[in-house]
Amino acid sequence: MSNSIGGWRPGPTWRWLCVAAVIQTAVLWSIVAKRQALLRDGKEIALPVMPVDPRDLFRGDYVTLGYELTPIKSMALDGRPSFDGLSKGAIAYVTLHQSVDESWLVRSISAKFPERVDNGDIVIRGRVAYHWGTAGSSDESIDVRFGIERYFVPEGTGALLETKVRDKAIKALVAVGADGTAGIKGLLIDGQRHEDPPLF
Amino acid sequence: MWGYQKRLAADLSRWKANGWLTDEGEAQIARELVSNRRNFGLAPALGVLASVLLAFAVMSFVAAHWQDIARGARLVILFASMWTGYAVAGMFGARGQSGMSDAAILFAVAVFGASIALISQMFHIDGHAPDGVALWAAGALLSGVLLRSNAAVAFAMGLVAVWGALETFERAAVFWPFLLGWAAVSAAFLWQRWRPGLHLSALAVSAFVIALGYVLSDGHDHALVVALGLMAVVSGLAIERFEPAWHVAVEPVVGYGLMTTFAGAMALQFGENPSGVALIVMASLTLLVLIGSIAYGMSTRRPSAIWLGYLGFSIEILALYAKTVGTILGTSLFFLVAGVLVAALAALAWRLAHRSAESERSS
Repeated sequence: MSNSIGGWRPGPTWRWLCVAAVIQTAVLWSIVAKRQALLRDGKEIALPVMPVDPRDLFRGDYVTLGYELTPIKSMALDGRPSFDGLSKGAIAYVTLHQSVDESWLVRSISAKFPERVDNGDIVIRGRVAYHWGTAGSSDESIDVRFGIERYFVPEGTGALLETKVRDKAIKALVAVGADGTAGIKGLLIDGQRHEDPPLF
Repeated sequence: MWGYQKRLAADLSRWKANGWLTDEGEAQIARELVSNRRNFGLAPALGVLASVLLAFAVMSFVAAHWQDIARGARLVILFASMWTGYAVAGMFGARGQSGMSDAAILFAVAVFGASIALISQMFHIDGHAPDGVALWAAGALLSGVLLRSNAAVAFAMGLVAVWGALETFERAAVFWPFLLGWAAVSAAFLWQRWRPGLHLSALAVSAFVIALGYVLSDGHDHALVVALGLMAVVSGLAIERFEPAWHVAVEPVVGYGLMTTFAGAMALQFGENPSGVALIVMASLTLLVLIGSIAYGMSTRRPSAIWLGYLGFSIEILALYAKTVGTILGTSLFFLVAGVLVAALAALAWRLAHRSAESERSS
């Protein structure tokens, strides 16, 4: 057995170096391609956002977007459903329907993708962040994160966007895929679309 | 490594004096030692540090100028940095400088992880962070195995541990998939026959077992930790007795098992709130196991068991002192009893040693 990191061993061969580099590049590229496809093909909805707080140590400035969809209260839903299987960290599927004034409201939430989805309804996949209250009680509620809670902005412009978010002048343009995955396409600021152009 | 060279140098002169070793043989061994030392020297160590700094440079440059760089160009920079890392690794490898090659592989693996974060940023993905760490760990393991890089596999073990910890904290429940990742990385250590890596594996799984005590049964399952630790100790002793071929595994299995047992015992005694009698019983058993470890280490010449025993004994005594100061139990009474017991054990040990010496003399 070799006891050191630096002890003599044959060096890596070019063939395996290429294999490693190609596989890792392909993995990263598949993340990009999947996301591009989601933003292109997913159904677009506009969701009003609420302010939270900025700055990520590694990734520059961002605005944290809160959505009015959450927290979801059991008593606010039809038939006061149980939140079984939706413990902290579990995957949750939230079904949305559009009200008369075109805003999106929560219809139901479940641990599995719903078998029947009404025409015009949309299912978003998320992860349970908190689950309060005793099961079946009227105060039972659940907080879900959809992976669309951060919007990264050029350095220095975070504060400006924060104010807009605070004034409720911003909506997030969200693309939702057939499997429920949600991605941010861009922002709707004072009615104007701001989005990154597609990569390819 | 250095300790080994020093010991070897002393042995060499003795072997030569005994006439077991020719001049030529000694010169050969000395040459190999020197070449090993060169490989293990300052250059690869600095290389690893440099690769860490360079990876941070790429990460922060790209993050700081993110908006000024066209989105396509960002991907090109990330991919090019990673490929450069692998190319440099190949160049060093071709020259037989495996330490420097390892450092370059580590750089490429770090850029792979940074790319996951930066691509998430590019598409405003606020994903589940542990998933990103898991993907990074898989990439590190892949590089480590394909390129036989011990450093990359060790890095993968660190990432698997971070992944398990993040998931456990989020769910406040046992995260069993950790064991799959752990097994995959451990298998890579075995395959590469790298012993320090197996220590990392043992450390990671010990931490997992100790964490079980804080997660299962609403965070009060430390008895299970003690049981699992003792099982490891017993299986280590069984290997020693019945599987001489596996002797190399005995010391670590016993050592990590003992550490786990002790961590569980500490939590039971001082994390929970046992009654006075229960505390006395548990403390006495813990001290007995630790004394057993010292005795075992001395009789089998395994220094790790001796030192773990001494260390545990000191920690246990200090913790007991802190806990029992000013309580009904009466600190001084406890130490009086403990002192008498240990003294009795010492007398017993002396008599046993005396008797075995006598029987040796008579035989």
